[in-house]
Amino acid sequence: MITFDKVSKIYQRDWTALDDVSFHIDKGEFVFVCGPTGAGKTTILRLIYKYEEPTKGTIKVMGENLRLMKKKELPKLRRKIGVIFQDFKLLQDRTLEENVLFALEVTDTPPKNMKKKLMEILTYLRLSHKKYAFPYQLSGGEQQKVSIARALVRDPYILLADEPTGNLDSRSSQDILEILMDINYKGTTVIMATHNLNIVKKMKKRMLRIENGKLVRDK
Amino acid sequence: MALRIGIREGIRTITRNNSLFLLSLLVTSISLFLLSLFVLVTVNLYYAVKILDEKIEIIAFLDDHANVQRLMRNIRKINGVTDVIFVSSEQALKDLQNELKETEAVLNVFEKNPLPASLRIKLERSFRNRRGLTEISNKIMLLQGVKETIYGGELVDQLKKITNIISAFDIGLLIIIIFSVIFVIFQTIKLTIFARSTEIEIMRLVGASNSFIAIPFTFEGVVQGALGGIIAFILIAITTHITTSIISVVYFPKLYFFIGSIIFGAFFGIIGSSVAIRKFLK
Repeated sequence: MITFDKVSKIYQRDWTALDDVSFHIDKGEFVFVCGPTGAGKTTILRLIYKYEEPTKGTIKVMGENLRLMKKKELPKLRRKIGVIFQDFKLLQDRTLEENVLFALEVTDTPPKNMKKKLMEILTYLRLSHKKYAFPYQLSGGEQQKVSIARALVRDPYILLADEPTGNLDSRSSQDILEILMDINYKGTTVIMATHNLNIVKKMKKRMLRIENGKLVRDK
Repeated sequence: MALRIGIREGIRTITRNNSLFLLSLLVTSISLFLLSLFVLVTVNLYYAVKILDEKIEIIAFLDDHANVQRLMRNIRKINGVTDVIFVSSEQALKDLQNELKETEAVLNVFEKNPLPASLRIKLERSFRNRRGLTEISNKIMLLQGVKETIYGGELVDQLKKITNIISAFDIGLLIIIIFSVIFVIFQTIKLTIFARSTEIEIMRLVGASNSFIAIPFTFEGVVQGALGGIIAFILIAITTHITTSIISVVYFPKLYFFIGSIIFGAFFGIIGSSVAIRKFLK
């Protein structure tokens, strides 16, 4: 599903975010990418959805060599990948419903299917009763659920979660983790970046440990 | 469908982020107003020059027994002459009386009409200069029945020189103003787009194509530019009205200014938003 082959990412002023990193993730896996702040976790996720280009090495996602991918094919790749963030990245001037529908509208989903899809995902995440609420009227956990709804509504093959519990209390964090596990159980490959080793230990899933841009452990 | 959603998104942004839109609209309107104002000055300058240019003519004073019809026929044959108008001595007196008005009594000192009959000779544009005037005037002087010709040879050249300098200065200033206006409008649009970088990032993340992302911003650019053009036109119409009532008649082709303001505004809006959004879509 995802292959990193000797991937390095060097930013300006010779700051190496990733150094010769190689790994392979199979379809349906749940993988934690962990390490301290600034280790290169977010860079790995960004490289997967081609938000950034590697300086060296090859990345393959769903059989496609990202380096060879043309610019106009990029939206197609991103429609197959859902991404959620620590800061949720919701549009503050739109309701919960509009935030989720936005992801469907920009990808030319037929209007008939939109409402059906929306109701399915909101029911699954127990958000139906708040569909007219604006992000600022929701708790952190609820906002993250909206962010997950937006990522899942397009049925992605891969879900990338960048510190999704970083801004949440322990109860909301547990809630989000359970949702991610369930999504993975249904067949979606989930890759979650976190610095919280307690979560990783508790979940007993594969872990890629990154330190100073190097992959130091794959267990 | 992308166009429909794009336009809807554009309208949503205009209505929901109205303070940002209004601020941007204000800057665009003022910029376009300044541009229109300068264009108006330029148009009037050229209009005045054109009127002055059209007034350049040769006046040929005739002998008392001149054969006017034959003279007119012959003068019309001269290369560079477009029209010949006969002014009888009676008409010349009448014209002078009209011009003098209150001091008309001065003319009473003459027992009989002292003004001779004359021909006003209109010229092609390329002959409305010292050389052309002299050339045609010399030819007219050779004709029987012509007593004297007058034309402002040197004065015409001086006038042309002055108008050329003013025109060049005006065009230079106009170019600077056009570029300044484009710069201000582009920067304003860029700032409004920058304020919504999160929205663009989310659109990219969920797999929106570049054209899909660009549509709402381009639409907003067009609306902003066209509305700015309309406001600028209203301001220029008010300015012209006030100016006309204070100083003199101002040449103001309303329809051209109205259409021009909208088209220019919309054009700047499209180009500005396209250039600004392109930076985010790299």
